[in-house]
Amino acid sequence: MISNYTAIEGQSFRYWILLGILGGFFLLGFGAFVYMEVYGHGVSNMNNQVVWGAPHVFAISLLVMASGALNLASMATVFAAKHYKQFRRFSAFLAIVLLAGGLTVLLLDLGRPDRLLLTMIHMNFRSMFTWNVFLYTGFIVLCFLYLWSMFEHEKYVKIAGSAAFAGRLILTTGTGSIFGVIHAREVFHSAITAPTFIAVSLTSGTSICLLLLVATFRYTGRDMDMRLIHGMRNMLTFFTLLVFYLFVVEKFTKYYSPAFYEVEGWILAGPYSGLYWGGVILLGLFAPLAILFNPRMSNKISGIMTAAFLSILGEFAFVAHVLIAGQAYPLQLFPGHEVSSLFLDGQSAVYSPSFVELLLGLGGVALAGILYLLGIRFFRLLPKKAVAPEDWHPWNP
Amino acid sequence: MTMDRRTVLGMGGAAAVGVLLAPGVQLIAAPPNETAAANAHRWAMLVDITKCNPACTACIDACRKENNIPLFGDPARDIHWIRKVEVQDKERQRPPFTLPVLCNHCEYPPCVHVCPTSASFVRKDGIVLVDEHRCIGCRYCMIACPYKARSLVYFPTKPPKDGNPQVPIRAKGVVEKCTFCVHRVDDGQPPACVETCQQSGHAAMMFGDLNDPQSEISQRVKTLRTETIRPDLGLKPHVHYQGL
Ligand code: SF4
Ligand code: SF4
Repeated sequence: MISNYTAIEGQSFRYWILLGILGGFFLLGFGAFVYMEVYGHGVSNMNNQVVWGAPHVFAISLLVMASGALNLASMATVFAAKHYKQFRRFSAFLAIVLLAGGLTVLLLDLGRPDRLLLTMIHMNFRSMFTWNVFLYTGFIVLCFLYLWSMFEHEKYVKIAGSAAFAGRLILTTGTGSIFGVIHAREVFHSAITAPTFIAVSLTSGTSICLLLLVATFRYTGRDMDMRLIHGMRNMLTFFTLLVFYLFVVEKFTKYYSPAFYEVEGWILAGPYSGLYWGGVILLGLFAPLAILFNPRMSNKISGIMTAAFLSILGEFAFVAHVLIAGQAYPLQLFPGHEVSSLFLDGQSAVYSPSFVELLLGLGGVALAGILYLLGIRFFRLLPKKAVAPEDWHPWNP
Repeated sequence: MTMDRRTVLGMGGAAAVGVLLAPGVQLIAAPPNETAAANAHRWAMLVDITKCNPACTACIDACRKENNIPLFGDPARDIHWIRKVEVQDKERQRPPFTLPVLCNHCEYPPCVHVCPTSASFVRKDGIVLVDEHRCIGCRYCMIACPYKARSLVYFPTKPPKDGNPQVPIRAKGVVEKCTFCVHRVDDGQPPACVETCQQSGHAAMMFGDLNDPQSEISQRVKTLRTETIRPDLGLKPHVHYQGL
């Protein structure tokens, strides 16, 4: 059932144009980094209250998506969904390139990126960031081992794949915990933050796999059995419902305790409520679910692709909401009191991304895109023909 | 162009392993810098808010001058080591009051816990400092501090002409905050804000050693009803308030 893997030729006009566009965005992103490096973070719109802005939103979204992108491979290796075996290489490779894009943005947004080596020399093991350095590099190593075993030593695939699967769960837990463990920030602090990040990684990771697989197969003239797409669509449906469930549990927990009424009211009706209702709930949750449960739309490639695309937008909105609203909500120096100061105490912070920040973030996306294009050109990542077993029939709405 | 995928995969893997292992290699021992303060002291501040005049900004001005803190003229991005906060209870049951808020030099400082490079650290005498040569500007400490005590330097800075040569200027891209005027404390003087507050006649602030049972601050913290901001967070701040 597994067809032969081939690399793409990568000689077509379209390939070079795409590479050129992504290269342009990457250069713009790099220019934005140099600009910010020379003139300081003052050229961004970040401030002393919203200290992590758009670059972090891009970086964290890419990292979360990276972990979810491995899901397809895990389905095959860990959960024995044999029909996805043919996408294992693609999936593991995609995880690496998304991680590379996200990490690059994260590093270039540091106030002093020139001192990066310091993180390697002076480690503080109580810091969630330190742990994340290990988790990210560890995950890349595991994905490389997994890829290597797929290419060269099939007998190690099970163990390497299982390790990578565990790695991705721990990785996303770590990413979610960057926020979840911060006691002082009422929007972040929650035991459910990390699991929610995992669920969101599953939706966005599956979505990006879907989009790239369909596009790559289509533009390189390869064959794909529609049932495989339907199987992934079903995964996406399930994961989106999982996200929905976790959101409900979260709100339920919060509304059970009057201590959270104020901050919850602020989330649902405050200055960032548009991002929450429009981005997280509508774009990321209800719209994809409406498409996925509509028999007419969810049986068509275009419908599935739209749902996948919306899920990715929803993921960005989710990360942006956690991050930006989490920081914008004023720190409560004296709960139950009104406070004010020249340092804007007691006020919700105002933040909208600047052009420089957006360019830096898009540069990371472009880097991931370039690496993907090079990957499918130089490695045999995808089969010429993707087929599903005759007796396998995914559920249809 | 062709590429041997085995070589590339191998190289990528080796690079990743290198990055993973590098942290474990302690290439350079941490400099002793200011970590070696005596632990005989436990410096703390006590603010009597009934004496803090709402119109007075003497402590803030003194701090700016003493520590070469630039003003960029952008309220959201100016650097604040100490600020005056006005507080009013929501039921309006008592008149509003003001109090200076600064780094609380927490006994369990979350900023130090989260700092990946250990640039933020606590001295043995309880003063929390940032080693500006080690800070990578990740800003995680700013997220973690519940008192909004930290500022990022958003713009390039130059040492002021008539500045205080004892306090080095912090470069752009690092995070800074109140040091309890560590250079003065090590010289046996109180922080600039405290000294100025005394001189201004309000005498709302005092500074001293909690480990010395004879010191005025120990006596007052022991006998008066003093409080800290957000004691519920369990960070054991070392800025105490009287009359809160
Ligand atoms: S007040 Fe903030 S900056 Fe100061 S020690 Fe506590 S956590 Fe750190
Ligand atoms: S910004 Fe500097 S001091 Fe703060 S956590 Fe990062 S490295 Fe540490």
